[in-house]
Amino acid sequence: MEQPDPTIHQPIRLKIMAALKPLPRRELIEFTRLRTLVGTTDGNLGAHLSTLEQAGYIEVEKQFVEKKPRTRVRLSATGRRAFEAYVAFLRDIIDHT
Amino acid sequence: MSLSSNEAAATLRDIESTQRRSANAFGYRMAAPHLILWGIIWALGYGVTAVHREWSILWIALTIMGVVASTWIGVRTSHTARGHVDPRPLATVAAVALLIASLFAILHPLTGAQISAFFPIVVGFAYALIGIWTGGARTLITGVVIVALTLVGFFALPSIFTIWMAIVGGGALVLGGVWLRTV
Repeated sequence: MEQPDPTIHQPIRLKIMAALKPLPRRELIEFTRLRTLVGTTDGNLGAHLSTLEQAGYIEVEKQFVEKKPRTRVRLSATGRRAFEAYVAFLRDIIDHT
Repeated sequence: MSLSSNEAAATLRDIESTQRRSANAFGYRMAAPHLILWGIIWALGYGVTAVHREWSILWIALTIMGVVASTWIGVRTSHTARGHVDPRPLATVAAVALLIASLFAILHPLTGAQISAFFPIVVGFAYALIGIWTGGARTLITGVVIVALTLVGFFALPSIFTIWMAIVGGGALVLGGVWLRTV
């Protein structure tokens, strides 16, 4: 990778990916918990999640629990690989300068 | 779009910080209901045996119920896709049970108070070690508090030790669980 992945490189999206990466594979995280970890607003998080979902990096699951909407998110296999490649790209810059 | 070495290093540090916070928050979320459950079991077990020492066999039933309930909670709280069950929590319970059985076989406690102090100290140190290795400050503090309260009760308050463990020991576990849930 000569250029960073522009989808992940955006700071909020990078935080989202970093927050999802340590969770067990297939594990979902609640929207509200993710918002706390990333430290952003509902609207901002929702917009960045849409971008990541369109890129195929995350999977979003929306349900109604006791008539209340519940949104949960997890990293996809594609997203995991993309994030690992992004981290490798950063390490490569450090190692070769 | 190019990044300098310093920018790359700073970005990596941010990534690691977010990953650590996420991993800790996940660990807290998974551990919290178990702490609350076992806090209630301790309160019941120590509370009943403080009043009726001859009912200490109740601990066997409470422990079995606790293991079954913990397993059920573990399956319920995991948001992992159906059919993918993480075997590590059950393996951990089995390892701790084996540790306790091995220690009891070699160094059997002599008095009821020693038995009552033994389990909280093992559990407290287990939480402290998990906290140290995972960087989970709240897990570490909960473990240290449980061990400290047990030692205080054992050495300073022997006459009310069992009821102390029911109220303070069980209460500390429940409060620890509630504290972890707030993350």
